[in-house]
Amino acid sequence: MKKLYSNKLVILSLVLPGVLLFIFAILAPICLSVYYGFTDYSGMGSFSFIGFENYKKLMTDEAFWMSLRNSLLLAIGFICIQHPLALIVAAVLDKLGGRAESFFRCVYFIPNVISVAVIAYLWKFIYNPDFGLLNNIIKAFGGKGGTNWFSSDKAIWAVLVVLIWHGFGWGMLIYYTGIKNIDPVLYEAASIDGADQKTTFLKITLPLMKPVIQVNVTMAVISALKQMETVYLLTNGGPGNSTQFAANYLYQQAFKAFKYGYGNAIGVIFIIICLVTTVVLNKIFAEREGRRARRIREGL
Amino acid sequence: MESVGKRKHKFSKPLLWVVLSVVAIIQIFPLVWLVDFSLASSNEMFTSGLLIIPEKIQWGNYAKAFVDGHFLLYLKNSILINGLAVLIVIAVSIMAGFACRRMKWKLSGFVKTLLLLGMMIPIHATLLPNYKIYNMLGLTDTIWALLIPYVAFSLPQGLFLMTSFMESIPVELEEAAVMDGCGIYRIIFQIITPMLKSSIATVAIMTFLNNWNEFMMASTYLSSPKWKTLPFSVLEFTGQYSSNYAVQFAVMALTAAPAVIVYIILNKHITKGVAMGAVKG
Repeated sequence: MKKLYSNKLVILSLVLPGVLLFIFAILAPICLSVYYGFTDYSGMGSFSFIGFENYKKLMTDEAFWMSLRNSLLLAIGFICIQHPLALIVAAVLDKLGGRAESFFRCVYFIPNVISVAVIAYLWKFIYNPDFGLLNNIIKAFGGKGGTNWFSSDKAIWAVLVVLIWHGFGWGMLIYYTGIKNIDPVLYEAASIDGADQKTTFLKITLPLMKPVIQVNVTMAVISALKQMETVYLLTNGGPGNSTQFAANYLYQQAFKAFKYGYGNAIGVIFIIICLVTTVVLNKIFAEREGRRARRIREGL
Repeated sequence: MESVGKRKHKFSKPLLWVVLSVVAIIQIFPLVWLVDFSLASSNEMFTSGLLIIPEKIQWGNYAKAFVDGHFLLYLKNSILINGLAVLIVIAVSIMAGFACRRMKWKLSGFVKTLLLLGMMIPIHATLLPNYKIYNMLGLTDTIWALLIPYVAFSLPQGLFLMTSFMESIPVELEEAAVMDGCGIYRIIFQIITPMLKSSIATVAIMTFLNNWNEFMMASTYLSSPKWKTLPFSVLEFTGQYSSNYAVQFAVMALTAAPAVIVYIILNKHITKGVAMGAVKG
């Protein structure tokens, strides 16, 4: 058994496909990005090495900072609007039971299985000043309508609404699963003690959902950073750079502005930001958990 | 989940229904609007009403969308590419998962961490260099330009799920198989794989959901229609029929349809798969 389980050749044959894929599709491109990030390559023709010039330029590039600000706004939107709503709806849905419960669960998730291409164009039409749904709804409630939702001061909010709307079902489903995993005995005990629904939610559901909330918040922040597809089709970062996101910006720089080298430098910084954010968030939450566990132990 | 029924009292049911229905309307009404407008003619759209009752239902919109949107070709490509990606992700993640989790070698932890790192890398940062690489190797405009990144970026999650499920399989089972003279490959594919059914389903669903609607890589690495996937029906159409809005609505409804129909049919399984995948991942 031992000999069989440490046969180097067999091990190699098992992990090789995965490792090769990782090297070819993830590691090699990153190395290539680092390489091109030090050049003034336009995408074709010759190029020369310019050291850290691209990175210096990036530090004072307003569009780049704007894209980080937008990621931050999106993350705040996810955490302060989408997730509390998703959590509350999940808790309410859990109380419903029966066929209606699975019906609503199904309906909430439908936008998630639809292609971003469809979602983006659909919302472009919804925001349309001439026949868009949104302006018609406003008119139906006695408003004026005809608003241009993609003007430079409103565009970012228009984009945030789409993203928060689209991801709602996913967040809801994860909270819903978390709530289903809570031991029903706890709720029974609470109702025997005469706790009302609000107290039960605040004192039982919320504390027990903490790990799920932490995972969800981490994923929300990361996906806010990585956002590209919806913005690419909806506004392509415009007007100006008011709805720019990092991934979209590096793509534009490389393929539209023909600054391939600069685009790669943005890519390198972008990867670093994503890695650092993931690690830091995991650390913060792990530490919190550790502290709580310690407190409980000491309390005992 | 059955015991849940017990705790659904003491809450005013009507209020519950109102909250859930409002959210449902917000989530689903845009899609109802989409389908409604796709059946009208473009002239009817400029109303101030929320929905249109078309004078005559314009099935022709869908006929145009179906033909000019290359619907069948792109659907076939989507199914083929995603199906292959799912199969490869499952096979590779089971093999690598088994080697890293069960077999005895020094670098097992390191290799596993390395492969899981892929989860943290933003896909879109690899668009520029990968374009260059595929160009140099002549892979642009081939099926490989999509298969390789789709598999590579779904692999970490697959590996993660497979290894965590493998832990629950008792080692004694394998010991017995070894006694009977089974080789490693037979152990993996004839003993372990059948026991991983639920996690295979989860990985398949997650991989499918991640890649089915992907178009950024596809539009970067592909130029001819040969391997283009379903989202391109929508992307290419907006230019072609830029003023015929009704047909654009039809193509959007049409491209969304396969995924929505499959989701409604397999609703329970998909929900379970996503829940399992997302909570563990």
